[in-house]
Amino acid sequence: MDKRLELGRYGPQLWTREKAREVRTALDPVLDELRAGDTLVIDTKGVEVFDYSFANELFGKIVLSFPREYPGRFVIVENLTKYTRENLDKALDGMGLVMIERKGGGLQLVGKVHPADEKTFEAIVRKGGAVTAAELSEKLKVNLNAMNERLSKLATLGLVRREKGISPAGREQFEYRVLG
Amino acid sequence: MPEALPSTKLDAISFDKFLRKQAPLRSDAPVFDLRGVTLITPAVLVQLAAWSYALARDGPQALIETDNESVRTYLMRSGFVKVVSGVAKIQPELAGLSSLRYEFMRGSNPMLIEVTRIQSGKALPALLDQFVWVLRYRLKYPKYDAFDVTTAVSEMCQNTFDHNSGTAGFVAMQVYGKGPKRFLEIGVSDYGTGLAATLRRNPKNGTVGSDLVAIQLATKLGTSEHDDPTRGTGLYHLLEITYKHAGAIQIKSGNAKVYYRMDRRQGYAFAVPPAPGVHVALSLPSKDRAA
Repeated sequence: MDKRLELGRYGPQLWTREKAREVRTALDPVLDELRAGDTLVIDTKGVEVFDYSFANELFGKIVLSFPREYPGRFVIVENLTKYTRENLDKALDGMGLVMIERKGGGLQLVGKVHPADEKTFEAIVRKGGAVTAAELSEKLKVNLNAMNERLSKLATLGLVRREKGISPAGREQFEYRVLG
Repeated sequence: MPEALPSTKLDAISFDKFLRKQAPLRSDAPVFDLRGVTLITPAVLVQLAAWSYALARDGPQALIETDNESVRTYLMRSGFVKVVSGVAKIQPELAGLSSLRYEFMRGSNPMLIEVTRIQSGKALPALLDQFVWVLRYRLKYPKYDAFDVTTAVSEMCQNTFDHNSGTAGFVAMQVYGKGPKRFLEIGVSDYGTGLAATLRRNPKNGTVGSDLVAIQLATKLGTSEHDDPTRGTGLYHLLEITYKHAGAIQIKSGNAKVYYRMDRRQGYAFAVPPAPGVHVALSLPSKDRAA
């Protein structure tokens, strides 16, 4: 289930760390309601600009806290303009973070992302459902160990969900999917 | 007896020479002798404001002497007199009503954002919205350029109170020149502990051996007093924005200053007379070439 944060309610120009703290405080009860598999959608419609302090305090802290405090939940940003995307990308890059953006019906990564991780993420998105490390390994022509490492990293960053599934041969295996 | 002023124009560069020559703080009764000064820029106004507050906190009240009528008028019009009211004396004394009269004009000149005291983030968004408005609608900046510059101002201003307690910051802006030579200067100053002391609060930054090292460290991504990955990006992004808009920036803390010339993407280090706090002077070419 999606929970939405409509950032535009706080104004078109979002300045300062303090303002972001105000947004995060208002968001706390919403986060507490999220269950494993749920997604927090940060809708930036109507937002023209935010400074780096705001981005760091809101997006940075949310992205950092999700894998640790809200495991299994996902956060997605949508309706970024070209300008706000560029600034969010720089802000996340500066913090060494990455998050999912929903754009034009598709999903992509914004922030600091290794090209190999980006390719893996894109392959999972293209699959449109659960996919195994073996399938991805074959599709991207990457050895299985390396693929498991990539997937483990993406799961740790809260970008993909790892679930237990059953292979056609009846064996337990991990499957990966992107929510949102 | 103070030496003659190095220049009749006091800007971020000549103010350091002024401090070195006049040494206004060596006396028990500190005097900033601005007699002979014919022009004073926002980067100096905010530094003078920071000095005035720092001195008043530690004991003696600063005396600011001026004899040029246009400078005296500008001190009132720029909001400086109001901001330092109670912490500095201006000699010859200004008529109280005169300075109040100018307060009614606050916000009315598109070429000026008056000296404003910043104590917390509460009042800052409204001030930053004012920057956007002046840049976009009065100086004809394209929207995203106005946002860039205001983002830079925001990062500078937030540093003034984020890393200090019990002090404040000051910001001001003035547009100069005409046509292709038009540029704007933004000054932001505080009278806190300075960059070196701030960075030393985080053991991860090591010893931070000098003020110059502190400035160089502070402009690197991820260096902060806080051990927090969401901190320590403000000055880095400030430099990036200044590079993008072909501006110039001076960052001063303690007894060091680095002047970043963006056409060469290079910083030039200078020794300066020690000052409390951090002082940033940002110059940017105006976008309104028709002016």
